[in-house]
Amino acid sequence: MTPFLRNIFVVARRDFLAIVATPTFLLFLLAPLFMIGMGALGGFGASQLADSARGAGRIVAIAGPADVEPLRAADARLRDALPGDKPPALELRVAARDVDPVAVAQEKGADTYAVMSGPLAAPRIVEREEGSRSGAYLALLATDVLRDRAAGAVAPAAPRFENLKKGGTSIAAQQGLGLGAVFVIFLLTLLLAGQSVGMLAEEKGNKVIEILAAAVPLESVFLGKLLGLLGVAILFIAFWTAMAVGGGLIAMTQLDPGALANAGAASANAQATSAAFGVTPATGWPFFILIMLAYFIMSFLLLGAIFLGVGAQAGTVREIQMLSLPITILQVAMFSLCSGAANAPGSSVATIAQIIPFSSPMAMAARAATDDAKAVHLLALGWQAIWVALVVTLSVRLFRSGVLSGRSSWKFWERGAKAVAAGDQ
Amino acid sequence: MTEYCVEARDLTKYFEAFKAVDHVSLLVPAGSIYGVLGPNGAGKTTSLRMTLGIIDPDAGTSRLLGGFKPQSVRHRIGYLPEERGLYPGMKAREAIAFMGALRGLDWAEGRRRAGDFMAELGLERVIDEKIRKMSKGMAQMVQLIGSIVHAPDLIVLDEPFSGLDPVNQERLEMLVRRERERGATILFSTHVMAHAERLCDRIAIIARSARRFEGTVDEARALLPMQVRYTPRDAAGDVAAMLPPGAERRGADWHFAIEGDAVEPLLARITASGHGVAGLSISRPGLHDAFVHIVRQVDAGFEADAQADAIEESAA
Repeated sequence: MTPFLRNIFVVARRDFLAIVATPTFLLFLLAPLFMIGMGALGGFGASQLADSARGAGRIVAIAGPADVEPLRAADARLRDALPGDKPPALELRVAARDVDPVAVAQEKGADTYAVMSGPLAAPRIVEREEGSRSGAYLALLATDVLRDRAAGAVAPAAPRFENLKKGGTSIAAQQGLGLGAVFVIFLLTLLLAGQSVGMLAEEKGNKVIEILAAAVPLESVFLGKLLGLLGVAILFIAFWTAMAVGGGLIAMTQLDPGALANAGAASANAQATSAAFGVTPATGWPFFILIMLAYFIMSFLLLGAIFLGVGAQAGTVREIQMLSLPITILQVAMFSLCSGAANAPGSSVATIAQIIPFSSPMAMAARAATDDAKAVHLLALGWQAIWVALVVTLSVRLFRSGVLSGRSSWKFWERGAKAVAAGDQ
Repeated sequence: MTEYCVEARDLTKYFEAFKAVDHVSLLVPAGSIYGVLGPNGAGKTTSLRMTLGIIDPDAGTSRLLGGFKPQSVRHRIGYLPEERGLYPGMKAREAIAFMGALRGLDWAEGRRRAGDFMAELGLERVIDEKIRKMSKGMAQMVQLIGSIVHAPDLIVLDEPFSGLDPVNQERLEMLVRRERERGATILFSTHVMAHAERLCDRIAIIARSARRFEGTVDEARALLPMQVRYTPRDAAGDVAAMLPPGAERRGADWHFAIEGDAVEPLLARITASGHGVAGLSISRPGLHDAFVHIVRQVDAGFEADAQADAIEESAA
């Protein structure tokens, strides 16, 4: 191991233990309970937004030219006649030779509950959820059109139901998942990056920083602090993942799946219930979890570096708070942008959020929930890595110029600019 | 040719318009104990920080341990800053091991050596105490041990004696001597002359941002004339005639100053005069006197310059 790396690990080890080996770390560990409360509120709000933006989803009927208008008329009749919740909006398409109902069911940007194709007497109905009301409604529409044409007794349509096995357009659930990813990354990053500034303030107050600066390059101190806090973050995530997995396993052994299914079927919102239990990110859980971790690390490094670099300019806790505020506001703005992006996959807002370096990790994590493309994440990680390198380099120089200065902190930009221009050692 | 462990030449540092350090050079021979003396605010700490590469000089260079840049030999240096700093939540043993680890020492070895040092200094009872529970003096000793636990070749101590009680000051002096015997070079700053007088092979006196003296303690003391108190056995007649100009009578004693080479002629004159000797003491001034003399001279020069500037300004 090179001396530089060894120094980083010495500083990281100290910071890691200083946080973990204290009673207050327990409070920190319990922070997710607060997060879950906040998340529930945020998720509710987001879901309201998403619903209003998306409507109630759709059902699609792919029919011959002669069947389109009768189906539309039947929909108009039956929709009003049905009690309770209305079916999702009907979208009618003229049948073409190469139309694949499964592909239609998987189209992005719309919440498609069922797709009917083929002759009305024996239609093929592809459902997102088995035994769904949407599938049944499409079969009812076909029967109604047949009955209307026959002007007498007629055998009901004999639909062939198919369940969409994978990649169903459970957009609402996936978007919710994406939003959750954005929220978790945002909150964890803010919580931990903020701690780095607190630790730096403590060291400046204790005058330890001069000992560190005399013993090792300040770059090592800087990176060691980031690494130490990253270690805390990973411990934190590992703890809660273990708790979640453990809790899940216990729940699986305690709950009767049959009873669960019955309860779901009895519910008026059977679709939503099963969706909630069966949601899968578009990229699959293993990839999604790994990429989320990678994006969290990127987000943490970006924000932590900024906090440390700017925080080093401050001489007092008050100054640290004042200097941290604009960064926190920026991060909240990025969170808002990414929330919007998570609710509108494929939109220009999403693209912008994925490109802006400080929102890119959160926005890309959200994308991993709704888009099955994987290669794009390599590109995004590369892009973010470039920015991490830039931000860390700049912040280290600000750190060097500010951390041992006894002068007025409010001229930090002059010192920072001077340090950067001079290619500070 | 002298081998220098520290070669800091013409170090200069401005803080805004204020020249905190003005062309200060420190040449510390290897294996010596070197003191940087000066009043508060003279520029000692800034000079040491620049020497160690903690802050960059606006002008001048610093080479350590045979011509290396300070940053490249950090692991061979031990440094006790003026502003003491330890993590309050750390135990003494861990704090020492941590400081050693920063300089490349293995953690386990650092812990072991921490135990040895603490025992040697009679502080073993607090080795597993947290720093926040220790007295200031004890914490300072812990930090001092932390700065030498890795057996550095160069030890730089900024005001190491301040805040220590006499017992701990004695312990620190013992530690400094022992480190020199081990082969280390020690550079320390202080404004307490007694320590410098007892420990230092060479000293530099910094006042008003610039180095005003460099040499041995004896050379510094030799800057002032010797102080003589003479009591004639027979005070009748003109005693003052055989004494140097400025001799002052206080009761039966005469007080005056003479240069070192004037002692023998004075004795010859006294013997020849017939006044006899009831009492005679010839004492060399201490480092304290030499230091005060040098600093006052510098201050007087600055005041004269300021007055001249004021006159010039009013004339303009």
